Amino acid sequence: MTQAVAEAPTPTEREGTRPEQRSCGGRVPILTTHALTKRFGSLHAVDDLDIEVCRGDIFGFLGPNGAGKTTVIRMVLGLIHPTSGHAEVCGHRVPGELQGALRHVGGFVDDPPFYPLMSARRNLRLLGSMTGPVSEERIDEVLDIVALRDRAEDRVGGYSHGMKQRLGIAQALLHSPELIVLDEPTSGLDPRGMKDVRELIRELGAAGTTVFLSSHLLHEVEQVCTRAVIINRGKMVVQGPVSELRPQSDAVKVLTGDQGKAADTLRAQFGASSVLEDEGFLIVQAGEDAVPEMVRRLVADGVAVRAVVPAPEQGLEDFFLELTGTDGDRPVLAKRRAGLARLLPGGRR
Amino acid sequence: MSTVATEPAAHGSTGPRMHGHALGPLRREWTKLLFQRRSYLIWGGAFAIPFLIALALYLAKSDPHGGDGPLFFQRVTGNGMYVALAALSALLPFLLPLAAAMVAGYMISGEAELGTLRIVLLRPVKRGSFVLTKWVMAIVYLAVGFALMLAGGLLFGAIFFGLHPMVTLSGSTVGVWHGLGLIILCCLYGLAAMACIVSLALLFSTITDSSLTALIATIVIYIVVQVLIAFSYFDWLRPWVFPNYFLEYLNFFRDPIYWTPILKGLASFGAWSFGFTFVAYLLFRRKDVLS
Repeated sequence: MTQAVAEAPTPTEREGTRPEQRSCGGRVPILTTHALTKRFGSLHAVDDLDIEVCRGDIFGFLGPNGAGKTTVIRMVLGLIHPTSGHAEVCGHRVPGELQGALRHVGGFVDDPPFYPLMSARRNLRLLGSMTGPVSEERIDEVLDIVALRDRAEDRVGGYSHGMKQRLGIAQALLHSPELIVLDEPTSGLDPRGMKDVRELIRELGAAGTTVFLSSHLLHEVEQVCTRAVIINRGKMVVQGPVSELRPQSDAVKVLTGDQGKAADTLRAQFGASSVLEDEGFLIVQAGEDAVPEMVRRLVADGVAVRAVVPAPEQGLEDFFLELTGTDGDRPVLAKRRAGLARLLPGGRR
Repeated sequence: MSTVATEPAAHGSTGPRMHGHALGPLRREWTKLLFQRRSYLIWGGAFAIPFLIALALYLAKSDPHGGDGPLFFQRVTGNGMYVALAALSALLPFLLPLAAAMVAGYMISGEAELGTLRIVLLRPVKRGSFVLTKWVMAIVYLAVGFALMLAGGLLFGAIFFGLHPMVTLSGSTVGVWHGLGLIILCCLYGLAAMACIVSLALLFSTITDSSLTALIATIVIYIVVQVLIAFSYFDWLRPWVFPNYFLEYLNFFRDPIYWTPILKGLASFGAWSFGFTFVAYLLFRRKDVLS
């Protein structure tokens, strides 16, 4: 968009221009951005972004690393000033009425930081008291929610990454905000920790809190969120209910006794572009209807078929990669190979 | 993880052990200072240096060639009242500016380094009052340093030499309590001088995300100015720069007190402090917090 927004259009004007992106319907929007733009020098970190989060959503904010997700969150929460455009958070305009908005929002940006020499409890007391009075009982409650009560008196400096992420969620919950903004809360966690955090987010959503969840993991958003927006290079790619975001994929994963030969056979049947190799499996873009014929041909060619399973997420990842554009990676890969070839003794070609 | 509380939280409603009202902005910043190890280094130094001065002079007393030293040092040998004053004259040119630059330089850029700036600013606290709270707390920190220096001076002065009536620069004699009052005035003047350094360091602290950079920038400027005004060529500069007035507290020890240079000094400190802090406030209000 080249539109220079000196004065942001009213929501109704925007609704007129982009009806498909205004989808709260009867529900109340809790967080909206209006032509939100941030430039750092010549870099358009965020470019004319309109997103809409409705009350009660678990909203996925999806994009690859460097897409501008954190910049958007920092603008929405008033840490940085937009070059143009604005946000509306819990009925308050940001920037402008930032303090009013922040009374109703909890969350963190990047990894949640704390004072390392203080205990978790003291950190919570200190941060919480900035919003309003916090009782010790409430601190106990939020520590229970993230299962850190028994470590509450320990210095945060000794906490693991996962514990700090959970403490970050605890401090966000202190004042039972209407909206919780979490920036990649599962990043760097082990699978158990990821599962815990995702469950917690679902429970928060079930309890009526709106959650704005930034993530670069598509399947995470799929598992947890009701609605989502995908952004790339600071621009919106698509926004809507998660169930409508994903295209129906009919890919299947195939495992055989001789993957090389099987690949040849399948390429002959479905065309070269429909067959991919991925971590030992062959991914074939073929509907369920095509499976019997596929297996028959493989068997006829003397290939032992070990497994054929649906792989819907495969289609999803492709979809995500396609949306967020991986073309730019190719020169990078070529340069990396050339560099490695020079570095490694007898460099491989 | 247990279930999530569904009821809207107590916004200051119930609960026997409430925090928040009690934990005002100054109290929070004070807690942060107490949870930094370096805070105690400076305080410890401010308390220990009077002891070292008293000890050195006590040991030198028996040495006929001893007793030389900076201003006040010769008089100390007869009267412990001068130990605190000698400590002030020893600390004011360097350790105290360093302490001021350290504590104020860390105030904002230190939080940026730690990352905590991006979590405290998600709380509904105005940035302007955040900066001013930081400024006040840096002054409070230094006031504690001055108090420790004074307490150390009086304590060790009394132990080594006893406290006696003081002789002013004009030759008159003032009683112990009067003398103590003058020493406290000197310290308050020193604190006002340090407010300039605090304000300058706070300004750098809002610009950079590295507390060491803020500290060094402040100290470099301070030293450059000191060097400049040491040359008579730059005499025209002297009235305009605040380090020029650092030693005017000596005028409290004239009888009667010679107020003109003291008031000039305080005016200079006030103007520079206000200017630096105001710019810090303006910059921080518009700052993009990217740390």
